[in-house]
Amino acid sequence: MHETDIHDLSDDADYAAASQQGSSSMTRTDSSKQSSSGDPEDSEIVYLKDNVTIHPTQYAAERISGRLKLIKQGSSLFMTWIPYKGQSSNARLSDKNLYTIRALPFSDIQSIRRHTPTIGWQYVIVVSSGLAFPPLYFYSGGVREFLAIIKQHVLIVRSSEDANLFLVNNFQDPLQRTLSSLELPGSLANRTPLSSGTPSDGSLENKHTSEDGHLRSIQRNNKQRQKSHDPARDISIQVLEKFSLVTRFARETTSQLFREGLVDGHGPNEKKRSNWASKDHQSQGMASNDMEIVPKKVPVPSDPLEFDKLSLVWGQPRQHPLGFQEWSTFLDTEGRVVDPTALKKRIFYGGVDHNLRKEVWAFLLGYYSYDSTYAEREYFVSVKKSEYETIKNQWQSISPEQAKRFTKFRERKGLIDKDVVRTDRSLTFYEGDDNPNVRVMHDILLTYSFYNFDLGYCQGMSDLLSPILFIMKDESEAFWCFVSLLERLGPNFNRDQSGMHSQLFALSKLVELLDSPLHNYFKQNDCLNYFFCFRWILIQFKREFEYEKTMRLWEVLWTHYPSEHLHLYMCIAILKRHRAKIMGEQMDFDTLLKFINELSGQIDLDPIIRDAEALCVCAGENGAASIPPGTPPSLPIEDSSIYYQQDEEVL
Amino acid sequence: MSYAYLFKYIIIGDTGVGKSCLLLQFTDKRFQPVHDLTIGVEFGARMITIDNKPIKLQIWDTAGQESFRSITRSYYRGAAGALLVYDITRRETFNHLASWLEDARQHANANMTIMLIGNKCDLAHRRAVSTEEGEQFAKEHGLIFMEASAKTAQNVEEAFINTAGTIYKKIQDGVFDVSNESYGIKVGYGGIPGPSGGRDGSTSQAGGCCS
Repeated sequence: MHETDIHDLSDDADYAAASQQGSSSMTRTDSSKQSSSGDPEDSEIVYLKDNVTIHPTQYAAERISGRLKLIKQGSSLFMTWIPYKGQSSNARLSDKNLYTIRALPFSDIQSIRRHTPTIGWQYVIVVSSGLAFPPLYFYSGGVREFLAIIKQHVLIVRSSEDANLFLVNNFQDPLQRTLSSLELPGSLANRTPLSSGTPSDGSLENKHTSEDGHLRSIQRNNKQRQKSHDPARDISIQVLEKFSLVTRFARETTSQLFREGLVDGHGPNEKKRSNWASKDHQSQGMASNDMEIVPKKVPVPSDPLEFDKLSLVWGQPRQHPLGFQEWSTFLDTEGRVVDPTALKKRIFYGGVDHNLRKEVWAFLLGYYSYDSTYAEREYFVSVKKSEYETIKNQWQSISPEQAKRFTKFRERKGLIDKDVVRTDRSLTFYEGDDNPNVRVMHDILLTYSFYNFDLGYCQGMSDLLSPILFIMKDESEAFWCFVSLLERLGPNFNRDQSGMHSQLFALSKLVELLDSPLHNYFKQNDCLNYFFCFRWILIQFKREFEYEKTMRLWEVLWTHYPSEHLHLYMCIAILKRHRAKIMGEQMDFDTLLKFINELSGQIDLDPIIRDAEALCVCAGENGAASIPPGTPPSLPIEDSSIYYQQDEEVL
Repeated sequence: MSYAYLFKYIIIGDTGVGKSCLLLQFTDKRFQPVHDLTIGVEFGARMITIDNKPIKLQIWDTAGQESFRSITRSYYRGAAGALLVYDITRRETFNHLASWLEDARQHANANMTIMLIGNKCDLAHRRAVSTEEGEQFAKEHGLIFMEASAKTAQNVEEAFINTAGTIYKKIQDGVFDVSNESYGIKVGYGGIPGPSGGRDGSTSQAGGCCS
């Protein structure tokens, strides 16, 4: 990736300058004028970029790379993206054809949205005639240049709502031009509908119209609010794009399936796909390839994201857990983790082999530093062990006489005494009378309440400690890993519940963003406090899944890979799966709470993680912006290695 | 299973007083000492019969720890009955009753029937709160009182059923407008839709648990 693309911070100034000067100096090597036999005559290639890639959805590894070109023909600008032929890729040929963009005129393009994920490649989503094309990932950089070239040839206006959204238009009407100079996104909706140039047929017109209507109402709202930044509104446009992408993807893939008679070979989602395909098939009978939503039996507002298809497009399938052999490839000869980001990504998609957890969790939780060597860790562990003993000794040395005059200590100890014997006692590891592991759990919790006297002990902590102790076995190491975990989740146990309330609030903002009908339903039914998700968040779904699945989920969450708030997207993913039932049966707060409680043990983990990832990707920056800063588990210090170094300095 | 009425109950009180054990004893007729601690709320339900009418009790078992009070308060809404539990072997759980009662008065409807239960009465040798003190507190605050043991099942059945009887009597007396669900009562088949009404011939008999 080009460095300019990663650190594209100067873009605003560049953009302003370029649009004023109409500069041609930005035409660089890649966009040298050339023509090829495949392009129309008297056309000129003004931009060419290789390794621009689409990720179709079914397989993580599946990608289709191709060449992106901007072609000028007369006064018109066209965009093409042609996949490479014969490239060794496990993408099906039909997929390649499906995604090919042949001479898309810019007069049909409504907007281009640039995305700069914190991890991964920059990509753009091009929206044409209400349809979004799949994200184009610029593996070799060049997004900025791509936009720069476009604005030399067509009028492109940065949305006042979103600095990454570029509205593209050829304005003939002087009034339109005036409007556009005000940077009102209304220019987008005011376009006359287009009839040609889309790779698909025109059967989306109806949907199209309603989307435009939707858009207009959003824009009315936008005009009212002026400067105040409400991400929940901004995303409407973005969600719309993605929605249309999903719709289109769904249409084309299913029709492709039927045309080719392909039924097999779609891995874990096969069942879902075939249901979905048959649903689409019915409507095909009525109008060729028409994706009218099949009416539901109960009058439930439809999911604006067509969520059932969303994860197919955005979520990646789960992989097998990270094993010993692969783990060793992440380490250098002295035991440092060479690429922590790659490691976290790998763990996000597959978790960790059970026998490897003891070692890997210490990294994920931030107890071990990624750049520490075997020798450094060995020393570190021994130092931490004696530190633990020192803290533990603080309460162990309290005599009965002293305890009599130490109410707070007695209260805490009493609570912990009562709770450790009520935590996971059905597991072999903790079962039976006088189980030493229960004793160790007690000691760790009481030591923690001295280590962090302000937070103390709160119910739920034993649930968080249980799997950590089960994995680490060693008392001191379990303690320090637990300390690291509570660096993130400690606010869940604030006495005033502020940490929980801020997460529940963020959750409500995210649902508003990603499923406004559901949000409105909760609002009308006095459920906006989201207390029904309380247990999910407090102990990170520990009571919702069996033990092994909980550990898998936790290591996935701890990677913070797509977001440190993935647990909130998990909540939404689960709610969305049941939205039809919740709204269809008109559940009130009590019924909803009971219903959610009874989902315990009924949730299939992998598909939910996949859905959550899809939602997180879909919400993008606006999702992140919906979550107020400091919402747990946001770390007070970004870089855990700094934390580690500080620890070392103290020693 | 059809019911004439459904009553919502809530069980409150300090952590570790045996709220979940009382519920389990009532719904499943068993005592499970190694029950996982309650996070948030758990639900139980059982059919009982009063005056030949099947009544479903839907019971909300709440977390007792102080920090969770702000959440617990949202569960009071629409409860017809409450079991306020303390542990006769731990004085502090008795001392906290006033604050629990205050919560209940503030967040539940005024006609909620409250039963005070001194649990763990099988542990008489470790008693820290006398029966008289419990009675006195109940009298002062207008509560029904009973000592019970989730372990031996002593008075457990009675505690839940007497509470239901009191609620049922309030319905008969027209204290509740049962069509208003904020009182924690739902009218099912064979129930009296209003404060006055005739009896029907419902013969559905109860027992066991359901949800």
